[in-house]
Amino acid sequence: MKKGLSMRTRHYLEGYMFTLPWVIGFLAFMAVPLARSLYFSFSKLEIKTAGLQAHYIGFENFRKAFTVDVDFTPKLMGTVSGLIFNVPLILIFAMFTALLLNRNFKGRMIFRGIFFLPVIIASGTVLTKLREDGAANLPIFKQYDLASTLSSIMPVELVRPLLGILESLSLSMWDSGVQILIFLAGLQSISAHLYEAAKVDGATPWEIFWKVTFPMITPMILVNALFSIVNSFTKAGNPIMDYIMDVLFKKNDFGYGAALGWIYFLVSFVIIGIVLYLFRNSLRERG
Amino acid sequence: MQSNNVAATIRQTLASGREKTSPYVPAAKRYGRSTASWVFHYLMLFGLAFVFIYPMLYLISKSLMQSSDLSDASVQWIPKELNFSNFKYAWEALDYLPKFKNSIITSLIPALVQIASCAFIGYGFARYRFPGYTLLLGFLLFTFLVPPQTIILPLYIFYSDLHWMNTYFPFVIPALFGHGLRGALFVMIFLQFFRGLPGQLEEAARIDGAGALRTFWSIMFPLARPAMLVVFLFSLVWHWNDTFEPSLFTTIADKFNLMQSLKVMDGQSQLQLQNGTAAMTGDLTGLVPTFANRVMAGSLMTILPMLILYLFTQRYFVESVERAGIAGE
Repeated sequence: MKKGLSMRTRHYLEGYMFTLPWVIGFLAFMAVPLARSLYFSFSKLEIKTAGLQAHYIGFENFRKAFTVDVDFTPKLMGTVSGLIFNVPLILIFAMFTALLLNRNFKGRMIFRGIFFLPVIIASGTVLTKLREDGAANLPIFKQYDLASTLSSIMPVELVRPLLGILESLSLSMWDSGVQILIFLAGLQSISAHLYEAAKVDGATPWEIFWKVTFPMITPMILVNALFSIVNSFTKAGNPIMDYIMDVLFKKNDFGYGAALGWIYFLVSFVIIGIVLYLFRNSLRERG
Repeated sequence: MQSNNVAATIRQTLASGREKTSPYVPAAKRYGRSTASWVFHYLMLFGLAFVFIYPMLYLISKSLMQSSDLSDASVQWIPKELNFSNFKYAWEALDYLPKFKNSIITSLIPALVQIASCAFIGYGFARYRFPGYTLLLGFLLFTFLVPPQTIILPLYIFYSDLHWMNTYFPFVIPALFGHGLRGALFVMIFLQFFRGLPGQLEEAARIDGAGALRTFWSIMFPLARPAMLVVFLFSLVWHWNDTFEPSLFTTIADKFNLMQSLKVMDGQSQLQLQNGTAAMTGDLTGLVPTFANRVMAGSLMTILPMLILYLFTQRYFVESVERAGIAGE
């Protein structure tokens, strides 16, 4: 049917055919709603009998978020600092676990099965419930009274953040199922020849890790960092997310809620931008 | 030290001939490791596995306990008597079977639809270059990054105007266009997978006269089975566990899914708890009754279908992730 078309035009048309559904979806479920929410964020919205009515009020909503609202800024800072803290933790832990699992040993399949278990339960209500119930605090810390042991050997200023890390450790670990998976897939794709060559040249395992393994999985670190950031920005139980939903659907302050959503989005975008900047070298090498 | 090295060298020599043919054998095996290294390895594994299995054990243990066990300091893990009454209670409180049906519909259908649509779109992104390609790819990444809360209000209004509230459309229709819950991520997984396949297969099909659609559906799509399994499981589990969208688009209790029902049950037990403690303010024993055991039983029951599914598929799942190369770039 496309006999008269040149090869190139035909190639283009087929490409558009495959991606067209996504473009339609993008317009309907992403671009238009995003534009509308941007419009809302600069307006005061009221529900009238004729439907929603918007008055343009400029940056009023944004100003309110940082000056009048006493809840928003601390919550935002809490989310961001939690993120800066947890993402590296998740990455290190996930890489460590992936390295352990990448060896060939007895019971490998069973252990792998266990390590991906949190992917099944770690999203949503059940985990929130478990955390509220205190299941995240491992009994080891309680039994050995870690707090007093530590404070006897180091200054109190150091003990508190350290305990905070330990307490959130199991939670970060449960959040890293997908990341372990991605690292493991990356490790498996490294050619065995590289290891052999390094071994022949007399490299120690430590050197092999830093000179072969690590550079080879740098792209995976980027993928995982992005995934972890997006994941922690959108997961259930995130205080900012709950707060925005509260403003939108309980207080019905639509314009303000939209503005908060946009601030949140911009913050996440800046953080992702910083991560991409940090990884710019590995991105450039791959073109 | 010396003998260790010799042993390692021998093992290495013996192993190298056999294992060179298989690219998937990890490097560690090829260079023999000392016993100490293996002890450390297994210790770390068991330690970490404990942390990972801990929430499951916690759920199971607590859900088997009676209220008296919860406040009994001598009971840590093993309940005093085996009792399944919490499950019976949760079964009724959750209204299990109808809610199970709702959960199945709102997660299985979107998951299957996303497999088809995201594979189709991912294939287009993987195999074609056209004017505007880079822009579209940028939009794809962008879509992945936008937090759903930013656009939830306009979407809510949009779906209300379409009279999609309390129907299954908000979960299925966006999925049909490669959107919906993490649709962009699934498109990227398929994109990555198709990029990794050799182009000769399609060339052969095209020379034999198959059109683009035919080539996709009968040659390339069936090859994407590893990616399909990964996308299917992720999509199913994430939809199953999701309460964000259902809580907005489903407001009638009859249409709730299991997770929403669990939230309701949790709220009720908190309420009962408050009433209970209010009634016994005169009691100075300091024992506060909790219904955590019932909620834990309910939690276990809501994730049980996914756990069973995972038990049967995990082997293929993990292998598929490795083969699908979701980390390719």
